[in-house]
Amino acid sequence: MSELHRDADLPTDVALIARWQRGDQRAASELVGRHAQALSRFAAAQGVREGVDELVQDTFVRAFNSLATFRADSSLRTWLFTILKRLLLDRQRAERRQRNRVELEEDHAVQEFNALDGLVADEAMQRVRDAVARLSPMQREVFALRVTEGLPYTEIATMVNSTEGACRVHYHNAMRAVKEYLSND
Amino acid sequence: MTDCPDGLVRDLLPEYAHGVLEADDAARVTAHLADCAMCREELALLGQVRAALEKGAPVIDVAAIVRALPAAPAAQPSQRRPEAQRAARGWVSRHTWHYAAAAGLVLAVGSGIVWRRGAVDPTVRLADSSHVRAAAESTAPQAAGAEEDGIMFGGGLSDLSVNDLQALLGQMDSVRTLPSVDPESMTPVIAMTEGGKTL
Repeated sequence: MSELHRDADLPTDVALIARWQRGDQRAASELVGRHAQALSRFAAAQGVREGVDELVQDTFVRAFNSLATFRADSSLRTWLFTILKRLLLDRQRAERRQRNRVELEEDHAVQEFNALDGLVADEAMQRVRDAVARLSPMQREVFALRVTEGLPYTEIATMVNSTEGACRVHYHNAMRAVKEYLSND
Repeated sequence: MTDCPDGLVRDLLPEYAHGVLEADDAARVTAHLADCAMCREELALLGQVRAALEKGAPVIDVAAIVRALPAAPAAQPSQRRPEAQRAARGWVSRHTWHYAAAAGLVLAVGSGIVWRRGAVDPTVRLADSSHVRAAAESTAPQAAGAEEDGIMFGGGLSDLSVNDLQALLGQMDSVRTLPSVDPESMTPVIAMTEGGKTL
């Protein structure tokens, strides 16, 4: 659930989109400010360490170029996450091609995650992030969206192109795996 | 860390942590937490995970993103209305063939025209000067005998005398149809002859 649902006084995303389409550039600032950090958190949770700001910017540029096609049957945030995920996949594919590497295995993901994680000084936080990094890509996506954004399963299912029930299973499996990792460490 | 058997409450913990639950669900979770150490631990873990992931996320420069966005549609310079654009496209498509036909005609006249009728091979309608010369040389005996039936010239209009031009105009007036402006039918059809025979 996005922040706009938490405060009835705030204009909805749809209202802001309409204002922007009428020429109000401040509405764009409000929309970006409302969702940018959530996109950054999601990208970081997926192990992205470099170019997160570019990724988030590309997401918004692509979204605003296609706002005429945005259908309000899903939330703007869901749509933005979907665009970000697609860009993330494109980037990962391009990086794989560039490095002439085979399909990114989970072990590789963990190594990359750890190698770039030196900035996190707090050991407890590092352990938690290691635990998240060991999850499968799908578990990590669902877990991050659920824990860092507090999104309902219905929205997450749309974002990850899965079902609500499957997302619930992924979340609980991820939670169990994180607990096990932290208790064994 | 063991899991609480109350799966429904556990399922609500992330939303509870974000404060986005409906009031009755939030009250239910609060009451459960008072008696359940496992769910309290899980809630604390959720807080740790959230903090760890948030700390790893760079702060985004909103202003930079906004600068990179396309201008709001209504703020863009006035554009031609769709109806006007459609009308302009229609005008262009309607007149394209006219321009093409005119250009083709000018090109054909500038490079030479052959009108041949009667004994001359009727497939020779329109050709450029080089082909005309080749055909004229190979059909010279026939052409000489066929002068009364038609007119033939090679090169440009400037090569013709006043009398020739008048004769040409007279011949053109007697032509029943003009060449079609259809590009396909304007494709030069060249008939080469040798020794009086059409090849």
